[in-house]
Amino acid sequence: MPYTHNGKLMSKQILNGDNFASFFTDRQIICQTSIADRDDLVMEMLTLLAMTRGIGNVQDIYSRVMEHNAGDTTVIGNGIAIPHARIDNIKEPMVAIATSVDGIRFAHDSDLSHLIILVLVPNDQPATYLRILSALGRILQDKDVATSAAELTEAKDIEKFFHRGGMLLPDYVCAADIMLPPETTLHETHSLKDAIDLFVARDLTEIPVIDKADELTGVVTAEALLRVCLPDYILWMDDLSPILHFEPFIDILRKEENTWLAEISTDTYACVQVSEPAIAVAEAMARYKTSVCYVLHDKKLAGTITLPHFLNKIMRY
Amino acid sequence: MHVDSEPRITLREGLPRAVVMIALAIVAGWLTTFLGTPDYPIEQKQIMAVSIFVLIISATLLFWTIRLAIAFLGIAIMLGMNVMTLPEMIMKTELHIILFLVGMMTLVGVLKDLGLFTWIIQIVINARKMSGKRFTLILVLLSGIMPGLVDEVTSIVFVLALVFQVCDTLKVRPLPFVMMAVMATNVGSTGTMLGNPVGILIGSKAGLTFGSFLVHATPIMFASLMATLLLLLFWYRKDIALLDERLKQRRAEHLGLGPLVRIPYRRGLIIMISSLVLIALHHNLETWLGVADNTMLIVAPLAIAGVLMIYRNRRARHYIERDVEWWTLLFFMMLFAVAGALDSTGVTKNIAVHFTDTFGTNKYFLTPFIVGVTAVGSAFVDNIVFVAAFIPIVKSLVTDHPELHPLWWAMLFGSCFGGNITAIGSTANIVALGMLEKSHNTHVSFFEWLKVGAVVGLVTCLIAASIILIFYYGDASVSAEAQQVLEQLAAPHLAAP
Repeated sequence: MPYTHNGKLMSKQILNGDNFASFFTDRQIICQTSIADRDDLVMEMLTLLAMTRGIGNVQDIYSRVMEHNAGDTTVIGNGIAIPHARIDNIKEPMVAIATSVDGIRFAHDSDLSHLIILVLVPNDQPATYLRILSALGRILQDKDVATSAAELTEAKDIEKFFHRGGMLLPDYVCAADIMLPPETTLHETHSLKDAIDLFVARDLTEIPVIDKADELTGVVTAEALLRVCLPDYILWMDDLSPILHFEPFIDILRKEENTWLAEISTDTYACVQVSEPAIAVAEAMARYKTSVCYVLHDKKLAGTITLPHFLNKIMRY
Repeated sequence: MHVDSEPRITLREGLPRAVVMIALAIVAGWLTTFLGTPDYPIEQKQIMAVSIFVLIISATLLFWTIRLAIAFLGIAIMLGMNVMTLPEMIMKTELHIILFLVGMMTLVGVLKDLGLFTWIIQIVINARKMSGKRFTLILVLLSGIMPGLVDEVTSIVFVLALVFQVCDTLKVRPLPFVMMAVMATNVGSTGTMLGNPVGILIGSKAGLTFGSFLVHATPIMFASLMATLLLLLFWYRKDIALLDERLKQRRAEHLGLGPLVRIPYRRGLIIMISSLVLIALHHNLETWLGVADNTMLIVAPLAIAGVLMIYRNRRARHYIERDVEWWTLLFFMMLFAVAGALDSTGVTKNIAVHFTDTFGTNKYFLTPFIVGVTAVGSAFVDNIVFVAAFIPIVKSLVTDHPELHPLWWAMLFGSCFGGNITAIGSTANIVALGMLEKSHNTHVSFFEWLKVGAVVGLVTCLIAASIILIFYYGDASVSAEAQQVLEQLAAPHLAAP
């Protein structure tokens, strides 16, 4: 077994095409639980994992799962809840499954969940949880899966159900897997005034500019706006007295309604295609020294990924 | 220009270059053995001087990013092998030129701080009835005149700020206008002694004054600048037409080309004009004070820098630490010392004798030959490196044949105009392309530059060679300069510092 430089056991790397069903056996499945409380069920599932596979201190891991859950990172939908946590003491992903006929509420505003999949991932396997979610993508979108599974009375049947599903982990996490829908966009025909209004009202630092076909044509940034107001030739001066009363900004204020966004938008920005590996997002942001990457479907703007969001998804999720 | 980091040279990259460099040094040393004449036999010291000189010059070219380190090592080898003594080395570093450049760089730092360059840019972007052709005319004239007042690197940095401002606002590609500015800067840098380090180096070695540059260099510079303007107007006519169209659109919308602020420019302008007048009058002051030639040329920028540092004492350290390019200046010192070793060992005398034996002393051959060789050499090698290597030969040639004094001008124009031929031909080119790459992520291919650069280089070199041949040989003032240099050489205690 390989070791890391500080003597810790290295986790087994998850290979491309690993089947999700290989992460559990019928011994980690609780059929038609009578537990109605979310926290009690999670503790029960962790205890089961501790007894059958060994995961370390159950109480600590329980706290980690609850911490994640409080951060709204638990995927909930169509009667399925997938609580998860990243922990140190395991070498490969571990999964416990529970079904509930009556259903359990995992969040205050969510529907009842009938199929609960608890996922524990080694801390040194970035994005494994995202790959597992991607493998479960088909059942997450099927409204009947959770109720059908909850009707099964034998753990063996549930195990077979997942084996039959052929839920293979994808080769890599795509940009589309971690992107968020574009929060704000501006059209080419908007003026500089509209951009400044948005910068101020929404506390933004950059806004994508799209055309009539929703294709990304450029990005307008607060930094570019500042550079328009304070170009190099003004910054050369040591003496600030000529601009003490924001004189260069006055000029912009006078013509902000007549200035089209195209004049200050830049066509140099970080972007990737939806199908590109998520690591391309990090590469683009590093290359362009920016904290926002735009995800395109051909030329259309499909989503955005900010650096904090990327770090959360890859390093903490 | 400050560069934060340079790519690391690996052993795999460095080893073949080191082999080439050592091979060149050995071949040069072997060729030196054929330079001996009955009057001037070749000594082992001279062979060593040539070998080490070629080793260092080729090393600075092959390892350009660490050229200063190579130059330091070269000096150490020269001293360690007794090719030159420590006092000789110190004398050959041309400290007076370095001090002149320190003074000028400090002055430029103060002028930038005081907003003089900001004011000049604002005048252009605020100009009424601006058109594409008018902008090109202003750009070429500004780029051509400014290096003569400050220096080529300061000039190109500030002119490019104008180019980027206008091109970014009008959404036109900046490359054609960057190339126009660079080519005009290289031509303009010959106009005065201040324009290019080559100017002050040749001026100092040839005993030329600021006034002699105004009389002999400025007219050739202007004639060449006009030819450059016409060529560029034709070559980039489509880009100029597009700029013109965008300017009209913008004017119709009553929009300017950038923010305008009220700059208190008078202080900067007065300082610049006074400094230039003081430097221009250096010869008169020297005569009046009875000091050696070119003393006041060196003293004036230092005195001005001193006064300005007292006036702006809060920023004094900043000017010296940030505005003076110490890396470049130290490299110049080492390079001058290495080139000086050829002179002090007498090897240049042998080269000059063979040069005249081979090519004769015919001005109709030597003038275009010197212009051509220095132009082609400077197109591929930094012109200061090339000129530093060539100066001892021309000096020896002119000492033996004073009527060939105009060859100094041929070397000046060849080395500066040749910088336009390739993208790496001058410091201004490298600085400009670096700025373009950083700000617009735009690269220029070698051949893209060469197409226009070769035409501009050829035409301007032909103009310079023709004017020198027609007007400068037999010119009384040129002969007087030559006579003065000979007198200085005869009486070293009166020589220029």
